[in-house]
Amino acid sequence: MPGRDTDVDALRTDRYLDSLLAAADRHANDVPADAAIDEPLRSAAARLRRDLVRVHPSFRFEERLAARLAGEAARTQLAPAAGAEGSIAAIPVTLDHEPDEDEGFRPLLIGGALTSAALSIAGAAYVAWRRARPSRLRAARTTRQRDRERSTAARAR
Amino acid sequence: MARPVFGRASVTHLDRDRGLVEAARRDRQQFDALYRRYLAQVYNFAFYELGDHHAAEDATERTFLAALANLHRFEERARPAEGEGASTFRVWLFRIARNMIANERRDRRNHPAVAIDAASALPAAANVEAGVVASDEAAAAWRAVAKLPADRRRAVVLRFVEEMSTAEIAGILGKSEGAVRVLLHRALKSLGRELGR
Repeated sequence: MPGRDTDVDALRTDRYLDSLLAAADRHANDVPADAAIDEPLRSAAARLRRDLVRVHPSFRFEERLAARLAGEAARTQLAPAAGAEGSIAAIPVTLDHEPDEDEGFRPLLIGGALTSAALSIAGAAYVAWRRARPSRLRAARTTRQRDRERSTAARAR
Repeated sequence: MARPVFGRASVTHLDRDRGLVEAARRDRQQFDALYRRYLAQVYNFAFYELGDHHAAEDATERTFLAALANLHRFEERARPAEGEGASTFRVWLFRIARNMIANERRDRRNHPAVAIDAASALPAAANVEAGVVASDEAAAAWRAVAKLPADRRRAVVLRFVEEMSTAEIAGILGKSEGAVRVLLHRALKSLGRELGR
């Protein structure tokens, strides 16, 4: 564990570095002096400030990674959006078998469910209407009559 | 006596990246602005830690992909001690980078065949990437830094190359500010001895 002297020296060094780096930001030629700091330490700090240069990645790498990040961003944003146009509703369903604990209700996208239900009702209504209404064509009436006779005979057997 | 509440409302100044982070959370395509702001810094850190251009690119790529994927987990925790211009997003991003770089270094230890001489890589790559003329003195300085223990080396790179505050470095390394000051002080003392020979 660092002692008190080390803490004080470390704080002094930190302040010296603050002024050294601030001088570099100002492009100042004068290096701050602090007699309380060892000469080798000051010299090492000045040397690191001068020699640890910044390097920049290549433009090619920068643009390739930018494109990859944009692709990832689009992919993760599209995933939730695929089902986001409808709302979730609980539609009760009649089951022939004993339902599991969490099987009584099946969530569906309400837009799709309504469309499906509307088509089913329209289809059932059309079939009922056609059955109740005798066709004006003789051939059709004959065909239906034969169908009815055949199903009555099958039930009797 | 009521205890003070330290929540989001008590943050006394804003993270300078708050606007960009919120925009990126609303629309992930906006992450590009954060990427452009910090690409060079993350790359520099990786390059000085790994001493190899390709390894630095790999670590940088993994860092930004992880940051994008985990942006929803980022929490702004700016403290007054971190100063007006502090960015907790930068600290968070560099913590990811530190982990990625540590993994890369571990892989290299496990596969020594791909290890390279970090000390000689810096001046060569700097010539290519930034047009900086490498000198023997610069190479010697880098070699001396590369020989430091890991925490001291990281602290030196973050302080001198990235010009981060002690508070930010403490956040990245997971240490107290006092511990970081001592790390830097000791690193400079040993570098002074090494470079003064």
